[in-house]
Amino acid sequence: MSGVLAVYQKELATYFRSAIAYFVVAVFLLGTGYFFLYNVFLTGDATMAGTFLNMGVLMVTVIPVLSMRLFAAEWSAGTMELLLTVPLSPWHVVLGKYLGAVTILLAIAAGTLIDLVPLYLFGNPATPTILSGYLGFVLLGMACLAIGQLCSALTENQIIAALVTAAALLAFWFVGHLQTFQTSAMARWLSGYLSFALHYADFIQGLVRSEAVVFYAIVSSVALALNAAYLEWQR
Amino acid sequence: MSDPPAIALDNVSKRYGSTTVVQDLTFTVERGEIVGFLGPNGAGKTTTMRMIAGFTTATSGRVTVAGLDMATRHVDAARLIGYVPERPPLYDTLDVRAYLRFAAKVKGVARHAIPGELDRVVAACRLEAVFRLPIFKLSRGYRQRVGLAQALLGTPRVLLLDEPTAGLDPGQIHETRDMIRKFGEDHAVLLSTHILPEATLICRRVAILDHGKLLAIDTPAGLQRSAEQTNRVTLEATAPPSELRDALASVRGVRAVEIHAAPDDHGVLTATCQVEAMDGVAAAIARTVATRWDLHRLERHEPTLENVFLRYVGGEPVRSAWT
Repeated sequence: MSGVLAVYQKELATYFRSAIAYFVVAVFLLGTGYFFLYNVFLTGDATMAGTFLNMGVLMVTVIPVLSMRLFAAEWSAGTMELLLTVPLSPWHVVLGKYLGAVTILLAIAAGTLIDLVPLYLFGNPATPTILSGYLGFVLLGMACLAIGQLCSALTENQIIAALVTAAALLAFWFVGHLQTFQTSAMARWLSGYLSFALHYADFIQGLVRSEAVVFYAIVSSVALALNAAYLEWQR
Repeated sequence: MSDPPAIALDNVSKRYGSTTVVQDLTFTVERGEIVGFLGPNGAGKTTTMRMIAGFTTATSGRVTVAGLDMATRHVDAARLIGYVPERPPLYDTLDVRAYLRFAAKVKGVARHAIPGELDRVVAACRLEAVFRLPIFKLSRGYRQRVGLAQALLGTPRVLLLDEPTAGLDPGQIHETRDMIRKFGEDHAVLLSTHILPEATLICRRVAILDHGKLLAIDTPAGLQRSAEQTNRVTLEATAPPSELRDALASVRGVRAVEIHAAPDDHGVLTATCQVEAMDGVAAAIARTVATRWDLHRLERHEPTLENVFLRYVGGEPVRSAWT
């Protein structure tokens, strides 16, 4: 595990020594702040439901920026030649990098907690619903990051990695809308099951369904496994 | 039972689609040996280095490092390998200290041993002046040395160096060669280089690679001996042709003599002698001719490693040494 920890620490150091982490966190928190003000103070709805939904959409758009450099930068700088020739398995590298990116995600989530202060001061929000929303937000973010990291491993061009990630995440976000066009029950179920937005909506409403938790865990695990397998295949 | 070779390649080939980059490569590098890898661009040197380092796997054949098969035990073998690719694998956003700490950790250096290891490689590669500088601010020479320092971390038994002196100034080249020579005293070093004198200076054996095939592997002197046809002495003298031919043929070490006479040279003959690769042949020829006739000019075409290399890879010999 010391190898995973070393990659994790390097990943965090790299994030915070470049402008990307600050930029992503700042954009996300500004966006969330705006949506919170709009949802709570303009509509008078003293819950986080609307804000959580906007946070989900915002995340799908900023995750590609966060994940694009994870492997693409290593390929283009030639540093993959170091990572794949030291006593680490591809799994160690994949996990270390993923945990680094997840830490930024948690920092983003922690940053939005400030929005709860006025909510608790001036309203009476349901704490279990808020906790459920945050759980959904983190699980959604972890699945998005795993997909972004996989896309980043496929190319040495960070822009291409970001564009492919954005396309994949938007597809997962909007695939649920295809339900209404499906005549087959199986296709309807599948497009609903694959939808990031529909599972996330359950969490926002305070429902922690094991199906949704397992879904995000499966998406993350499959993407990470493909990521490690791709690195091994590249040898 | 004797130790397995530090590096062993057994009929190793690497193909990308229909392109064969390395073909049936077989050689070993023993502990305490520095082997130079020579070849033109695209010869397969870097691919071979990458297969030994574990960055890529062989399509067929077997690569072992200290007896560990790189196809199945590359993680264990990686502990024994220090590798500097052609472009040192550096993180520009980190400073030298953070980079070397990271490299030490991923190479499995024990936490308590890391400060000592860093001190050792920083001193060996003379990095004290840039230790806390961000890597993006370093010159090409320093970047190369940071890459080398990374390779020396831990306890590598094998050092793989792809163009280690590229971009260094003459002083740094001298220091780097000394360092490699010192390391090679009790480790195995495989060194890819375009600088032929470098191979002659520090390598015990030299391997010549072209189009993915190993054309020759021997000591620099052995390779030079094997290229005897480039060992020639030519001279111009005023002498009777048949007597000059007989006199030259009688000199020990002369294997064949050709005499040319140009019509307007007023009796000056040009003689070309194929000679054995031994010391003193040119001097003996000079004595033999000069004591009896007028010797105007004598030049020796030595079989430099450049000539040997060019002979193997199909280029024109270089006339670089004169006596």
